[in-house]
Amino acid sequence: MSMFRAKKLDIGCFVNIKTIRDHSKRKAFAAAEPERQALRYIIRNTTLPARTRAEAQLQLTQMHCYTRPTQIRGRCILGGKGRGILRDFKLSRYNFRMQALAGNIPGVRKASW
Amino acid sequence: MSGVPRARMLDLMKVQCQIFATTYNPDGIRMGNKVLRQRLRGPTLAKYYPPRGPSVNDLQRVRSRGKGAPKKKRTAPAAPEKKSK
Repeated sequence: MSMFRAKKLDIGCFVNIKTIRDHSKRKAFAAAEPERQALRYIIRNTTLPARTRAEAQLQLTQMHCYTRPTQIRGRCILGGKGRGILRDFKLSRYNFRMQALAGNIPGVRKASW
Repeated sequence: MSGVPRARMLDLMKVQCQIFATTYNPDGIRMGNKVLRQRLRGPTLAKYYPPRGPSVNDLQRVRSRGKGAPKKKRTAPAAPEKKSK
């Protein structure tokens, strides 16, 4: 959603709408995380009255979907791809291979035995 | 609890909880404290994409070197001459 998007482009990697969207989601989640955790605490606390907990459940489900951590997806910072990402390097498998063969990733070398 | 009465053990637990600032919950009731114990992972998740650095073609830099586009004229341009047939 455009209201979560930064007014000015603020990422310095491969840019397409998918990476921008994912970045907005990450920022939205970071901003809403304390609130989400508070609601989660109320929901899981069985000593609180049932009504309070049900209200908290409703509130949590009615929060914007961009504030949900499951919306966040690892994306390749060189190609924006969303599948086959090596999380440690934030790269897709093909880009990882290219970078590794070019020697751009410290400590990574092609296995040979 | 080899021979130690339960009340005494509970007292011990209470003191333990006071010392280590944990919640005294001998019955194991779910109080949602594990949610409060979790760390916030928003800041690390938000740092996934590298921030945008200053670019060479920054408009400010171009302007400072006097290479920017000329300013728009405030006054109306002189009326163009009429074409004669």
